[in-house]
Amino acid sequence: MHKIEIDTNIDVLSLNKKIARENREFFKKYKIKAINIMGAIGSGKTLLIEKTVESLGDEIKFGAILGDVVGSADLKKVARHNIPAEVVNTGKECHLDAHLVSHCLEKFKDVDLLFIENVGNLICPVDFDLGESVRVVMVSVTEGDDVVDKHPEIFRLADVIIINKIALADAVGANVEKMVNDAKKLNPKAKVIKMDLKTGVGVAEWLQLVKELVS
Amino acid sequence: MHEMGFAKIIIDEVNKLAKEKDAKKVTAVKIIMGELLLINPEQLNFWFKALTQGTIIEGAKLDISFVKPKIICTICGKNYNQPVGLCEKCGGFVKVEGGKEIVIEKVEMEV
Repeated sequence: MHKIEIDTNIDVLSLNKKIARENREFFKKYKIKAINIMGAIGSGKTLLIEKTVESLGDEIKFGAILGDVVGSADLKKVARHNIPAEVVNTGKECHLDAHLVSHCLEKFKDVDLLFIENVGNLICPVDFDLGESVRVVMVSVTEGDDVVDKHPEIFRLADVIIINKIALADAVGANVEKMVNDAKKLNPKAKVIKMDLKTGVGVAEWLQLVKELVS
Repeated sequence: MHEMGFAKIIIDEVNKLAKEKDAKKVTAVKIIMGELLLINPEQLNFWFKALTQGTIIEGAKLDISFVKPKIICTICGKNYNQPVGLCEKCGGFVKVEGGKEIVIEKVEMEV
């Protein structure tokens, strides 16, 4: 027996990157814009999808992939709007990855815009490219106004940052401007939207962005 | 947070290689990791040891080197140690490159 040393240079993340590329090719082939919606648990990701489909469902063909830990609670909410939708039960997975998403894509060939609602988590999803066109990160004032500062990486890599539930800011003592400034400081290129899905603040700005994405 | 997951992928790749070379034992694995992945090396080592028990990789030394991202102002060239959005010196956009890789660089084994 003797010892050998092998130079390997194996990229551990290469398989996810490869499948993400394949997903991206699929979206390009079928002219689908894919939005990876990441964000904190309970920040309003599913409601954002619902409100968008309600408002623009007549002009844009939507689809949705929902990450649900178990069951299909989010899927049922979205399916009420008669769009093709699929659940990915993530179980103990703390993020979606390209592989999980790749299994669902066939049924969305005819959609213009595919929402991919990621697991509620501000840490893990950031490192896993799904093949998306746009990354949205959503938080709400109820997570505390230091939530952006405490999770820099996911905000640094976002295309759109939504600060939701701003109507509750006074009630929870959250400084919305601090959250916006923290976001802009980390990511000067991202579009930052102050929103409240219940009162409608910021929704028009978001819908305009969605329309521009598919135009 | 993904230390166990990454340990598993590293072990799978090393096992594939060991099988190819018909190795009797793996004695060392050298990896490089980007700092921005925020992987805790002690935790990675822990899971590496835990998941290789009873295998030919048991006892192998896991050598972890970190790679810093390149964080540089696109206007004035000022370097930073941590990601920032805008340059404090000139207000320019600061670019972040790398710092997110995990690469198995070398594997040492007995054949």
